[in-house]
Amino acid sequence: MKIADAWRLSAIPYSEMAFRSILQNSSNMWWGSFGRGSSESSGRQDLVERALRIARFDKLIVAVFVTAAAGAPFLPQALGASYGVSASVTLSLAVAFAFIVLYGVQTLSSFVTSGPSPVLSTLPLMRRDVSLVNLLSFVRTNDYLVVGSVACQVFFVSLLTGSALSGLSMLFAGAINSAIGVGVALWLSSLFYRNILASKQGVGGSALRLALLLAWGIVVLGIGVLFAAAGYLIPMVQGVLANPDALTSTILALVYPFSLGVSVGSVAHGFTSSGAETAALGGTAVYLLVSVVISRWSVGSVASFPERLSNAAGAGRAHDTSVALRRPVAAYVLKDLRAASANLPSAFLFALPAFETLVVLLTRAFLPTLGASTLLVAMTLGGMVSLILPLVLISSEGNGFDFAKTMPLRIRTIAFSKGLIATAVFLPAVAVVYVEGLIKPMASPFTALIPAASILAVAAASLLEVRLFLGFAPGGRAAFVLQEFARMAAGAAVVLFPAAIYAAIYIPTLNHALAAGAMIAIALAELVGVADYVRRT
Amino acid sequence: MSDALIETAGLTKTYGSFGALNGLDLKVMPGEIYGLLGPNGAGKTTTLKITAGLVEPTAGSVLVAGLDATKDPLHAKAQIGYVAEVPILYESLTPRELLEFEASVRGLAKDSVNRRARQLAEAFEVVSVFDSPIATLSMGTKQKVAIMAALIHQPPVLLLDEPLNSLDARSSSILKELLSLHVQRGGAVLFSTHVMEIAQRLCSRIGIIFGGKIVAEGDLDQLRARAGEKDATLEEVFMKLTNEASEVKSIVRALRESFFDDEDR
Repeated sequence: MKIADAWRLSAIPYSEMAFRSILQNSSNMWWGSFGRGSSESSGRQDLVERALRIARFDKLIVAVFVTAAAGAPFLPQALGASYGVSASVTLSLAVAFAFIVLYGVQTLSSFVTSGPSPVLSTLPLMRRDVSLVNLLSFVRTNDYLVVGSVACQVFFVSLLTGSALSGLSMLFAGAINSAIGVGVALWLSSLFYRNILASKQGVGGSALRLALLLAWGIVVLGIGVLFAAAGYLIPMVQGVLANPDALTSTILALVYPFSLGVSVGSVAHGFTSSGAETAALGGTAVYLLVSVVISRWSVGSVASFPERLSNAAGAGRAHDTSVALRRPVAAYVLKDLRAASANLPSAFLFALPAFETLVVLLTRAFLPTLGASTLLVAMTLGGMVSLILPLVLISSEGNGFDFAKTMPLRIRTIAFSKGLIATAVFLPAVAVVYVEGLIKPMASPFTALIPAASILAVAAASLLEVRLFLGFAPGGRAAFVLQEFARMAAGAAVVLFPAAIYAAIYIPTLNHALAAGAMIAIALAELVGVADYVRRT
Repeated sequence: MSDALIETAGLTKTYGSFGALNGLDLKVMPGEIYGLLGPNGAGKTTTLKITAGLVEPTAGSVLVAGLDATKDPLHAKAQIGYVAEVPILYESLTPRELLEFEASVRGLAKDSVNRRARQLAEAFEVVSVFDSPIATLSMGTKQKVAIMAALIHQPPVLLLDEPLNSLDARSSSILKELLSLHVQRGGAVLFSTHVMEIAQRLCSRIGIIFGGKIVAEGDLDQLRARAGEKDATLEEVFMKLTNEASEVKSIVRALRESFFDDEDR
C-alpha cells in the first residue's frame, strides 16, 4: 500500500480513537438530579459531535502551545544574545520531544488498550498494511504538534543563521527527534499497561505497580520542570559547550539530544573538528539509525499491542473470592485510587504530592526566614496545583460512572471522597513547611497558622469543584466552556480568598495575629459552608 | 397503592424531536418474570434505564417496590439489580475490587457478601479471573461479572437488558434457574430480549413494545388471542402485532431476487 493511501485511510481509525478517548472521559460525568427538575438535555448525537469537536480543538491548542514552547529557547538569541544555536536547538528538541511523548501517552489510552485494529481487521488488507495504517493513525494524534514544532525550529535556525543549509539540517534533526518521540510514546504506553495489567496480584505485584506509578508520575512532572527551567538551562548548557575540546563537552555531545543540537550548530557556524563536534556527528549518525529502527519497530508492533496486553493480563489466577468491606466514603476513595492507578492519564496523581512539595519548597528555599508573604504565595500555589485533582478523578471514572449511578449513592459521598484525596495530596507540602519552620525562624509565630488555613481552603475548594462538576447538566460547547470556567474559577476563588483576607488585614494593621486569625476563620467558614452545601445533596 | 414491584405510568422520554417512549404503562407483580419484546429502537432499553435511574424521564412516573424512583431514587435503587445490554462496569478494577466497592457502598454484611460472592463466582466460573482487570476479560465474562454485581445484594427487583446475549450455555442455564428461584421467593424480573424462545419459555407475562408503547401484553395464550392466531408461535404473534409480517415477507422476496435468483451473480 502506498504511504499516501495509508495516510488517507488512517483518518478513519484516528477519528475513532480520538472519539473513543474523549467520549470515555466526558460522556457520563453528569450525575444528574433524578426527579429534581433538570432534564437530560443533550442527546447522544450532541455528545458525538462534541467529542469530535473537542478532539480537533484540543489538538490544535496543544500544537500552538508546543510550537510556542519549541520556539522559546531561540528567543534570547533572537533578542540579541550572542551565543551560538547549539544550546537553543538542543533545548528546543528536548522540549518538543518531551511534549510529543507526553501528549502521545496522554491521548492514546484507547489506542494502546484496544487499538484501531478492530476497525480495520474486517477489511481485505495485508497485516503489514494494517500496521502501517495503525501507525499513521497514531502519528495523526501528533501531526499538528510535530509539524508546528519542526517548522518553528527550522524558521528560527534559518533566521538566526541566515543559512538555508542550517535550516535543512534542523529539519533533519527535527525529523529524527519526532520519529524517536513517537516510538518512545508508543513504547511507554504499552510498557505501562502491560505492567499495570500483569501486576495486580500479591504484595510484590502491588509494590512493582506503585514503583511504576511513581516513576511514571515523576517523569511526567519532570518534563514540566524541565520546561519551566529552560530559561536557566540555556546559558548553563552554552557555558559547557563553550569549550568544545573539553572532555565534558565531548561526553555531553554524545548524549541525546545534544548530539543533534551541536551538529546543527556545526552546520550553522562551520565545522571545526573539535572533540565535541566530532562526537556530535557520530552521535547523530547513531540516533539516525535508532530513529530508523524505532520507526520500523513501531510499524511492526502497533497492531499486536492489544494481543500482547491480553497475554500479560492473563498471567495470574485467583483462588479465593473473599472481599473486604469499608464505609462508603472509604470505599469510594479506594475505588478512585485503584481506577486512577490503572489509567495512564490520571496515574500522575501519585507523584503530585512530591511535585507540590517541590513547588512549595522552590518558592522559598533560598530565603533565610519563613515570611508571611512567601508562605501565602507558596501555599496558594500548592493549593492551586491540588485543584487539578478533582477533575482528574472525575475524568478517570470513565464509562464506569454509569455503574455508580445504579447504586444508592449520594453526590456527597462522591464529593467527600474526591475532596479527601485532593486534600491528602496537599498535606505533604504542608508537612514540609512545618519541618522547615523548625529550622528557619518565622516572621511571627502566628504565620504558622497560614498552612493550616490553606488545608481548610483546599478541602473546601476541592469539595466545591466536585459538587459543581456533578451538578451541571451537559449542554453545547458554549455551556461546556462556561461551566468549566465557573467550576475552576469557584475553586480558585475559595483557595485565594483566605490568603487575600490575610493580606488585606495585615497591610494596614501590621498585625500577624489578627491577619492569621481572620484567615483561619474565613477558611473554616468556607469549609463549613461548602460541606453543608454538599451534605444536602 | 398497588402491590406491583415495578409500575410505570405514562412514561415518556424524548430526545430532541424523537420520542423513545410515548406514555408507557406496565406493571410487574411479585413472582413475575416480565419479558419486554420489541424491535430495535422500540424503547426496551430506555424503559429499563429509566427504571434503573440511569436516564431521567421526560414525563410519567416509575414506582419500584412502592417507592417513587424519581422522587426517592436512593431507596428505589437499593431495591434494584441492573444488568445493561453492554456491561457497564469500572473496567480498570478487578471483579474482586468491583464487588468490594459495590458491597461497601450498599452497606452489606461481610459474611453474607462473601458467601454470595463465592457461590456466584463458582457458579459462573469466574474465580480464576477474580484479580484480573475487567477490561481484559471477554464479553461473556464481563456479562457474568455484571450479573454477579446485580445479584450480590439480593434485590427484590431485577432489571435485565438482554442478559443472555453473551453467556455460554452453562451460565445461561444457571441464570435462568436463578431467575425462577428469585420470582418463587416473591421477587420480580423485568427483562428485554430478542430471543422469542427464551421469552416464551421463561416469562410469566410478555409485553410487546412498539413505538415507545406497550401494544399488547399477557401470557402466550392471551397474546395469541389478541393476534387472532390460535396456534401461532410467539414469533408469529409478535410479527402480527407489530405489523411486521407483511413487510418482512416483501423484504425477503426482494432479497431473494437480488441475491439468489440473479443469474449474473
